Amino acid sequence: MLRPLMSVAALELRTRLRDGTALVVALIVPIALATLFGLALGGDDPPLRATIGFVDLDRGEFSASVRREVMSNEQLKGTLTLRELPSRQEAQRSLDAGDIGSAIVFPQGFTKSVGAGSGGQVAVLTSAESPLAGVVANAIVDRISSVVDARTLAVRAALAYGVAGDRVKELVERNGAAGPGLSLADDPMEGGKIDLSVYYGSGMAALFAFFVVGASFRSLLTERRQGTLNRMRAGPIPQWTPIAGKALVGFGLGVVSVVATWASSSLIFGTSWGDPVAVFALLVAHVLAAAAITMLVASRAKTDAQADGVTMVVSFVMAFFGGSLVPLYNLPGFLQKVALLTPNGWTSTGLIRLAGSGGGLTTVIVPIGVLCAIALVAGGLAAAGFRKGLLG
Amino acid sequence: MTATLACTGLSKRFGDVLAVQDVGFAIAPGEAYGLLGPNGAGKTTTISMLVGLLKPATGNVTVCGTDLAAEPLAAKAKIGYVPQEIALYPELTGRENLRFFGRLFGLPRRELAARIDEVLDLVGLSDRADGKLGTYSGGMKRRINIGAALLHRPEVLILDEPTVGVDPQSRKAILDGVERLVADGMALLYTSHYMEEVERVCDRVGIIDHGRIVAEGTRHELVAMVGSADTIELMLDGDVDGAFDKLQALEGVVEAVRTGTGSVRLLAEGGRYVLPAIITAVDGRATVTAVEVIEPDLEATFLHLTGSKLRD
Repeated sequence: MLRPLMSVAALELRTRLRDGTALVVALIVPIALATLFGLALGGDDPPLRATIGFVDLDRGEFSASVRREVMSNEQLKGTLTLRELPSRQEAQRSLDAGDIGSAIVFPQGFTKSVGAGSGGQVAVLTSAESPLAGVVANAIVDRISSVVDARTLAVRAALAYGVAGDRVKELVERNGAAGPGLSLADDPMEGGKIDLSVYYGSGMAALFAFFVVGASFRSLLTERRQGTLNRMRAGPIPQWTPIAGKALVGFGLGVVSVVATWASSSLIFGTSWGDPVAVFALLVAHVLAAAAITMLVASRAKTDAQADGVTMVVSFVMAFFGGSLVPLYNLPGFLQKVALLTPNGWTSTGLIRLAGSGGGLTTVIVPIGVLCAIALVAGGLAAAGFRKGLLG
Repeated sequence: MTATLACTGLSKRFGDVLAVQDVGFAIAPGEAYGLLGPNGAGKTTTISMLVGLLKPATGNVTVCGTDLAAEPLAAKAKIGYVPQEIALYPELTGRENLRFFGRLFGLPRRELAARIDEVLDLVGLSDRADGKLGTYSGGMKRRINIGAALLHRPEVLILDEPTVGVDPQSRKAILDGVERLVADGMALLYTSHYMEEVERVCDRVGIIDHGRIVAEGTRHELVAMVGSADTIELMLDGDVDGAFDKLQALEGVVEAVRTGTGSVRLLAEGGRYVLPAIITAVDGRATVTAVEVIEPDLEATFLHLTGSKLRD
C-alpha cells in the first residue's frame, strides 16, 4: 500500500525537480518578489512629525488633562509637539505660516461648562498642507468629546435626582463617572505596527502556495491525457494512490516554499513574523487549504490547460481579496469582510496578529481552525469531483 | 477448468448511449481471444471494465476465479494491461518507465531489476534501455508499452490495438513476442483493426458491434457462418431498384441486400463465375460502376455480421 504511494510521490517529485518548475515557482519567484516588494515598500509607515498648536483659554482641569496625556504618551513622543499659543488668532496665523500643522482651542469656561452639565465645544484648526496633523488633532478632540459627553450626562442625571449644585462635581468624580482624565490609546490597528516586508513576504508566500500545490494536481490531468493515470489505476493499487502521491509532493513543496519565503524575508529584512511555532502552524494550515482548493479545481477541470487557467485566476483573486497583494488595512471596510471568505484573508489576519502582538499559537487558533475547515470542505468537494471524473 | 479471464452480462451506459450491453466471454489458460469490432463498437469500454477502470452497470468479471469487484487488487495483480495509447513517461528512460510500473505491482527491488532485463530482452530493446523514451521510434515505444505489462508475469495479457502506427519490422517483433507468450501458456485478449493479426494470433474471436457480441467462435466456425458463398459488393448507376429485383431472382444468389442508394451486396455461391450473369441481369437498367468479390474469410464474416468493413 505504502510502496506504490511512495513510488508515485517519488516520480512526481523527480519530475517537478527535473523540469525546474518546482525550484522557480516554489522558491525563486516568491522570494524574489517578496524581496522586491519589501525593498520598494517595506519598513514602517513614514514617521509622523507634527506640531499642534494648543490654545488654552480655559485654564481648567480638562485642558490640563489633555496637555498632560499628550505630553506623556509614549507613542507620541518624538513625533508630536504641542506648541502653546495665546489666542485663536495667533494659532490661525501660525497655521497659515506653516509653523504648526493644526491647532486645538479650548474656549474660556470650558471646564466649568462641562461641570455644570452644559457640555462644551473644543475647536480644531486644520490646514490642507498638513493633513496628518489635522487627523491627529481631530482624533484627540474625538477622545475629549466622548469624555465631555459622559460627564455632561452624569452631571445632568445627578441634578435631575435633586443633588445640590455644589455637591454634583464631587459626586460625579467620586463615582468615577467620566472623570477629567483622558487616556490616549495605542495604535488602533489590530496587532500593532507591522513592517510592510512582513505583509509582502507573507502575501507572496500565500499566493505562490497555490501555484506550487496546484501544479501537482494539474499533472494528474496531464497524466490522464497521456494515458499513464489509467495505466496506474489498472494496476493493483488503491484508486486514490495517484492523487494521494501527488498531493503529498504538492503539499510538501508548498510547505517548503512558504517556509523558505518566511526565512528569507526574516533574514533579509531582519523582521520577525512572530512566534515561530505559531507562524509555522498557520502557514501549514494555509498550504493545506490551498491544496484542497487547487485539488477542487483539478477535479472539475476537463484539461490540464483549463486547470492552469482556473488555478491562476483563483490564486490571484484570493490573493487580492485576501490581503496578499494589498495590506488588509488599506482595503475598504466591506472588502476587509470579503477577505475573510478567502484562506489568504485568514492567513494575513493571523500573521498580523502574530507579528503585532507577539502572541503564540493560541493567538491564531481561530485562523488555523478556519483554514482547516476550508481545506475540509474543498477537499470533500474535490473527492466527490474525482469520483465522478478522473476516477469515474 | 477455471477460465483465466471471464466476464458475464457486462453493460455500461454513458448518458443516453448504451455503449456495452450484455457482453460475456471466457478465455482459458493459454488461449488467445480476439475481440473484433468497428470503431465505437464498445471494445475499449469492454476492456476498461475488464481492467477495473470503469465500473460496469451490470455483470461481473473474474480473473482466475477472483472477482474483480470484490477483490480488485488481487484480480488486477493477475492482469497485464497494454492500453491503446503509449501510456509511458517520455522524460524517463525505457528502463525507468519499466521500473516505475514494476514497483506499482509490488515487485521486490532485486527481482524487479532482473525482470526488467528479461523484459527488455523479450521486446528487443536491451541496447536502448537507458535512452529517454522521447527519443524512441513509435515501434520502440510500443514495445516498451507492452513490456511494462509483462513485468509481473500476468496470467492474462490484454492488448488494446497494440500495433497501431508501427513500422512493419516492429509489428513483426510485437506479433512474434505475443505468439511466444501465448505458446508459454499466457492467456491473451487481443483487439486490433488488422484482421490478419487476429487471424494469426487468436484461437477464438468474438465479433462486437453496437455494444453486443454478435458472433463468437474459432476462425473456421465464424467463416462457416457465411457458408462457402462469396460476398459481392456492387456499385450501380441508373435504375437501381429494377436492377436489384433482377439480382434477387438470379440463380446462385443466396442473399441480396441494398446497402446504400446505389450499392448492393450479394451473397453468391462461386461469386466469380456468377459475375457475367450479374452484368447481364442489370444491363439495360443500370450500369455497374464498381465491383468487388470477397471470398469467405473472417473479413467477409465480419462484413456479413456487422454490415461494415473493419477499418471503416
